[in-house]
Amino acid sequence: MKIEVLEKDETNLRLSIKEADVPLMNALRRIALAEVPSMAIDEVVMIENSSILQDEMIAHRLGLTPLKTDLDGYNLPEECKCQSEFGCSLCRVTLTMDADSTEGTRTVYSGELVSENPQIIPVSDKVPLLKLAKGQKLKLEAYARLGKGKNHAKWQPVSVCAYKYFPKIELLSEQCKDCAKCVDICPKKVLAMKENKVEVRDLLACNLCMDCVDACPQKPSAIKVEWEKDAFIMNIESSGALPPERIIQEATKILDKQLKEFEEQLKVGVK
Amino acid sequence: MSKLKVKVLKKEANELKIEVEGAGHGLCNLLQKKLLEDERVDLAGYDVPHPLASSPVIYVRMKGAAKPEDALIKAAEKAREMNTAFSKELKKALKA
Repeated sequence: MKIEVLEKDETNLRLSIKEADVPLMNALRRIALAEVPSMAIDEVVMIENSSILQDEMIAHRLGLTPLKTDLDGYNLPEECKCQSEFGCSLCRVTLTMDADSTEGTRTVYSGELVSENPQIIPVSDKVPLLKLAKGQKLKLEAYARLGKGKNHAKWQPVSVCAYKYFPKIELLSEQCKDCAKCVDICPKKVLAMKENKVEVRDLLACNLCMDCVDACPQKPSAIKVEWEKDAFIMNIESSGALPPERIIQEATKILDKQLKEFEEQLKVGVK
Repeated sequence: MSKLKVKVLKKEANELKIEVEGAGHGLCNLLQKKLLEDERVDLAGYDVPHPLASSPVIYVRMKGAAKPEDALIKAAEKAREMNTAFSKELKKALKA
């Protein structure tokens, strides 16, 4: 297998993966979406809420606010030693908020949440949570826990985790009349005209829609779009909870654990 | 923790039907495809009878007298090897 990092920043990771297969890519994608844990607010105690939004509404908005996650320092509540309904310092983080409006209407942002652990804070402090009119107050205590995307989307560490086949574009120069129809129709601007000749400008952007093949007036088409059966481009966009490379590494760990467990169970259960 | 649990539903000399509690499409599809790469396997498939109320069921039938549980273990091993190769390559690629 050959892996190459195409793009990488704080929230995005784009990989080129060669000599892999669909089932593996799919398993990793599903695990990144549904099984890699991340932190999210799970329970909220309202102390005072005189805003016009109901408690539930505010709790829901708090839950969906992405939090920076520390996977090594915290346990999943169901795996934690405490086994307590309320959690302990190893499986729960308390965040508090005390907001009011003394003059005029104002918006309360996620940055006003105060965490007991400075590492577990909202990814962005500019998520608008609600508006308070003059004299209204909001005081609450929120408990964040690790969880999995399969239980609630708020625990999904990724906003996008997808893969596509590695594209292969062939220009049959003898047949091509350089009419540029394929260049104009391409939604991803993969093709370009250079010195009156069609050329591939950005191969990796191709989404294999085949519009260029249909647009070509030549019969048979002077452009051929195919894909490598065992090469993929994987795109991981993190919500900010974890770095994207950490998410995919965790996914491989979880898959390995699942397969190991499956083998063990099989050896014990089937005789 | 959603630990995996294997329950045997049907077992014959060359046939096996198991229910895998805690598994999803990701794992089952991977195992099915790896089973089908095995020449001794006659038929391999999986089904999730209900997306919320049930666990996936994996079915394997072998050609001749081969043991289906051996093929399953081989398939899981194969998948693990591939996954390990992936994580090794990923580490290398991220360092570069």
